Amino acid sequence: MQRRAFLRSACLNSFAVAGAMGCLPVSALAAESNSVAQSVDQLPPLKGDLTLYLGRGEGGLYENVLEAIRKRNPGFNLQIRRGVTAALANTIVAESKAGVRRADVFWAVDSGAIGLVADAGLARPLPADVTAQLKPGFQYPQWAPVTGRIRTLPYNTERVTPDRIPDSVMALADSDLSIGWAPAYASFQSFVTAMRLLEGEQATTDWLKGVSKRAKSYAGELGVVMGVERGEVDLGFANHYYTLRLKNGKPDANVDLAFTKNDAGCLVNASGILALSEGDLPINFIRYLLTREVQSYLASEAYEIPLVNSVQPPQGLPPLNTISPPKIDLTQLADLRPTLNLMRRVGVL
Amino acid sequence: MQANSFLRKHRGLGLAVGLTALLTTAQVSANGEIGDHVNDLKGHLGQYSEEVSWLVGKYDGVVDTYEAKGKAAVETQQLIDFWEEVDFHSAIETNYVPVYANIWQGIYGIKQAIEAGKPAAEVRAEQDKLNAAFWQALGAVKLASQYQEKGLLAKVQTTESEPTTMPETLDDINHRLDRVVAKYAEKLPEAATTIVHDTYLHRFEGVEGALIEQDAALVEDLEKDFNVTLPQALNGKTSVDDVRKVVESMQAKINRAKELLVAAEKKRKDVF
Repeated sequence: MQRRAFLRSACLNSFAVAGAMGCLPVSALAAESNSVAQSVDQLPPLKGDLTLYLGRGEGGLYENVLEAIRKRNPGFNLQIRRGVTAALANTIVAESKAGVRRADVFWAVDSGAIGLVADAGLARPLPADVTAQLKPGFQYPQWAPVTGRIRTLPYNTERVTPDRIPDSVMALADSDLSIGWAPAYASFQSFVTAMRLLEGEQATTDWLKGVSKRAKSYAGELGVVMGVERGEVDLGFANHYYTLRLKNGKPDANVDLAFTKNDAGCLVNASGILALSEGDLPINFIRYLLTREVQSYLASEAYEIPLVNSVQPPQGLPPLNTISPPKIDLTQLADLRPTLNLMRRVGVL
Repeated sequence: MQANSFLRKHRGLGLAVGLTALLTTAQVSANGEIGDHVNDLKGHLGQYSEEVSWLVGKYDGVVDTYEAKGKAAVETQQLIDFWEEVDFHSAIETNYVPVYANIWQGIYGIKQAIEAGKPAAEVRAEQDKLNAAFWQALGAVKLASQYQEKGLLAKVQTTESEPTTMPETLDDINHRLDRVVAKYAEKLPEAATTIVHDTYLHRFEGVEGALIEQDAALVEDLEKDFNVTLPQALNGKTSVDDVRKVVESMQAKINRAKELLVAAEKKRKDVF
């Protein structure tokens, strides 16, 4: 069994505690650049017409943000087209091929869709001062991550002691732990894509085969976390916010979070935004989403991870600089087809 | 009587094309394109009334034939074709799905009773239920026409429309659950199951994170309903009435979820 790398969320809001438990600050996330998040009060008012293509977001909270921006800017006429993120990305590319551009800005819930549009050469470069507000490792020249979500290992605190949980996601295939997963779930497939890119196709195939022997499938990742909490399995794979929300609603829930180190098991994926049309308005609109106020709101209300500097993560999650996500270009996660083919070959889809 | 569309005449193709549309919009019929008439119900009430009378007569004729000449003299597929011929079909489908389900339940009640060679009295009993559903449906459309005239009824959307708030999403879930019963009553259990899965992934998943903060046990119940109880009930053997009971139980929980989330939203902090 490998050395433990768990982080008990209940006691990891302090960096000192994390260090004492062996979870040292690491890698690209350790240092913040000089540019901190701006306040909305520092931004110019938005004026004119803007069309946003909005991928489906978390429970209407993105809508609250957009409504607040509208209210604050009476001269701003924001038109929104909503839909499934991947479908909107395809629409933007198709519209471009047809010689039309209806969207000025694209806000997607996953960075893979952003990559699809950026790879088509449709994204406008962002000014350096916008990019500099983002944490190191999340600075891209043509798009801005808005908020993040981290892959975690929710585990049942009655069934498993943290020292039994390996700090390598690959090692889980050889462990004796029972596992809950949701193979049909988009976030899980992005995680497998990251593993395929980081570890290679054969290692990922072996891992899927190994884990599937002791895996119980769930329809979604909240289901995974609830299954873990009920003790149906020892641990599961899920984005961080499900566990935080469950613990908020049920403080005595038998579940806590563990993290692997520097592999796909602790991938930080992000929602992202890019500008499709030229001019100040799309860029200034992006600035609003990166403000301290919006980032704090999404952290406290949606449990999403702020990716601009100097904004606190949601309560119950350790600081990002104590976690060691793998270095990966998030836009590469758009390459989903080989992942789905692989999962079907193995028989988990 | 004129067919409303190519799709309605070609049920298999209509189902395939219509079901694809159903996955992305709540308002496109699985049985054919919805005509503009549904946005002018009042102007078509006369037509709908004629159609209901025509339907009652047609089903009566089939049962008369069965009573007089037996099973071999009846082409039971006609029972479905009659219903798919009329514009009233989409008028009720877009306005009051629960009665739409009752109609399909009644049609199949007659069809299966005839195919099983049941006594004419039993077939008549099924016919009476169907007739009651037709008249109830006509009443519902008349009521809807009044609301529509007063601008209280949303125009039927023919393009994709996404709910933008959690209460809207929960209302949409309830509407989709009504459609599950309708599809099951239509003897399309796979289509019904697809709607359940789609509703879970594209609607319930978007609200359950917020809901679990309010009532974890309620989320646990609904997770089980969406992923176990309802899919298992849609096995083709459960009665429509029993499927309806499962759905009504879920809808009560969804209504409770809506109350909780509306209350929580009032306490939510401002963005700026």
